[in-house]
Amino acid sequence: MFKNYLLLSLKVLKRKPFYTFISLFGISFTLMILMLLTSLFDATLGDNQPLTHRDRLVIVPMLERTRTETDTIMKIDTLATSYDTTYTYEDDIVSTSNGPMSYKFVTENLTKLEEAEHYAFWNDGYHQDGYLDGRKFSFGAYYVNAGYWDVFDFKFLHGSRLNEQDDEGANKVVVITDKAAKTYFGEATASVIGQEMQLGAETFRVRGIVARPLSDSPMFAGDVFFPITRVDQREIDSDDVSGGFGAAFLTSTSGRREALKNELTFLGDNYDMSGVEFYDKMRLFNATFYEGYARGILQEEDGSKALRLLFIPVVLLILLFVALPLLNLVNLNISRVYERKAEIGVRKAFGANGSDILYQFIFENLVLTFIGGVIGVLLAIALISYVNTNDLLGITRLSYSYEVFFYFLVVIVLFGFLSGILPAYRMSRTNVADSLR
Amino acid sequence: MIEIQNVTKAYRTDTIETIALHNMNLSVPSGEFLSIMGPSGCGKSTLLNIMGLIDEPTEGTVSLAGKPITGYNGKQIARFRNEQLGFIFQSFHLINDLSVVDNVELPLLYRKVGGKERRRLALEALAHVGLSNRATHFPNQLSGGQKQRVAIARAIVGRPNIILADEPTGNLDSHMGDEIMDILLKLNAELGTTIVMVTHDERMAKKTHRLVRLSDGERVS
Ligand SMILES: Nc1ncnc2c1ncn2[C@@H]1O[C@H](COP(=O)(O)OP(=O)(O)OP(=O)(O)O)[C@@H](O)[C@H]1O
Ligand SMILES: [Mg+2]
Repeated sequence: MFKNYLLLSLKVLKRKPFYTFISLFGISFTLMILMLLTSLFDATLGDNQPLTHRDRLVIVPMLERTRTETDTIMKIDTLATSYDTTYTYEDDIVSTSNGPMSYKFVTENLTKLEEAEHYAFWNDGYHQDGYLDGRKFSFGAYYVNAGYWDVFDFKFLHGSRLNEQDDEGANKVVVITDKAAKTYFGEATASVIGQEMQLGAETFRVRGIVARPLSDSPMFAGDVFFPITRVDQREIDSDDVSGGFGAAFLTSTSGRREALKNELTFLGDNYDMSGVEFYDKMRLFNATFYEGYARGILQEEDGSKALRLLFIPVVLLILLFVALPLLNLVNLNISRVYERKAEIGVRKAFGANGSDILYQFIFENLVLTFIGGVIGVLLAIALISYVNTNDLLGITRLSYSYEVFFYFLVVIVLFGFLSGILPAYRMSRTNVADSLR
Repeated sequence: MIEIQNVTKAYRTDTIETIALHNMNLSVPSGEFLSIMGPSGCGKSTLLNIMGLIDEPTEGTVSLAGKPITGYNGKQIARFRNEQLGFIFQSFHLINDLSVVDNVELPLLYRKVGGKERRRLALEALAHVGLSNRATHFPNQLSGGQKQRVAIARAIVGRPNIILADEPTGNLDSHMGDEIMDILLKLNAELGTTIVMVTHDERMAKKTHRLVRLSDGERVS
């Protein structure tokens, strides 16, 4: 009997190409969008390398220096750096400057934290040109300490990470992404390890190749990673507290993050400003991973507030986005069944009983949603690979998760089933004479 | 044989109650070709539907082959319809999404008949109504008379004992109507199929064994 139902479904769908196309399109499109959203979500917020330890991560995105003067005469700010703003507040003149930290500041103050298990420092302010056989390539350069590789668990395709000796000796070694390897060497294979790369004026040996991360976090958006001590000498010698370095830490457990955050806040608030020119107060911003993410989007300085602000609307939006097409599918299926009232009457007049009708319509909906679902999955896969190969989202790349695809297919078929069952049940019980009138 | 006893059918809407049939008695012996006539709205279709087990009487009993069908459940009644009855409607009621031969196969879908056998019986029934060459057409590619012949093929494919036809020639011109009538007469004569036919056409009614006239839900002859 199931074979009959299946054949019948296919016959009906074939005879209604327009209707079939519309429903298939709706189902496929919904599914595709949902899958793209999840893979985008997964790429930026999912448990992917190098952020497997995200729940133990505390980030110090920047420090803020302020100077408050109880002075009614407007001061003309002579420090013309791009971050500076000057405004009057009641009778005070408050000047603020936000930005990353200096090499000395991070290595002298942020390496003795009680709650931090691993320390990552990086400088992402430079580009390095690579040269090979008269060709020139531009790479985003990251200067990172050894602890960086503990905090961010990059996926090593070949070779190994940089270590303490590399920092101490300012060794001429680099870790590069698979993309950089392909650009420079034409391949990202094990044979690249140990080869030389001409970067700027010097030659470096490739120590390791990592898979390019899926998301575009400024914490690891580089192509080539150098030992931290290879950074421009002026960065290392600078006595200023502000400079070009970001910092992130791993605590021993996620529960210790608050303690570390308090420690950092305390450190900033009580920093001895006597050695700092012009400013009289410091604040060390700090955030957990998700707070940092929400902060970045909302430009809201308080990380936990930003997270709350972002979380609720995003969840609502996603729910709405999922609900609308699914409701539409239900609606489509319902009207489809009612449209065929006369057919149901005829079938019953010639001997179909209620459950025959029920099975027939459930089967039709299942076949339709299944075909639509499969098309949707294929579309999503095609679109994801298109987005990824052409870098349409910048460095962010979408993840493939066949498991997720499978679950979506199950969900959509389940909806096809559920949306068919109610109208089919009602129609299967109507009076035959009434449906034939 | 179909027998209805003291059947009353009332339709109730919010404001009014319509008595479509009132205390009706009718018995149709096996092999009879019976026609039913009467003015519009007098209850002819209602009577036919009740005899065909696709509508339920408000009061009274319907018996098929001597057994009252009250007390049978929906599945058993569906079985009865499938095996004993064949319907022909004024407006054909073919399924437009299915080909002619698929339409004819319909009653066999709800029986244990294999696909090949189904196809064979359907083609045989189509041959019987002279439409073998239209098997793969779709209903909207046929004329009214052809549609009704497909409907007859569908009604006879399962070899039912009884055929119920509600104005089968009502939508057709007189020539096509005669053709349909001839098929029904032949069916009755050759296979002994019991036929109950509602008609507005005295000429058609005259060709049948017996005529029953209704008026306002009651038998007048
Ligand atoms: N579902 C219904 N609800 C309310 N009244 C109905 C319903 N079906 C039929 N009737 C009424 O019952 C009466 C008999 O209807 P029926 O269809 O049996 O008439 P008929 O003799 O077949 O007429 P016609 O020759 O026009 O087909 C009519 O008055 C009709 O209005
Ligand atoms: Mg009628």
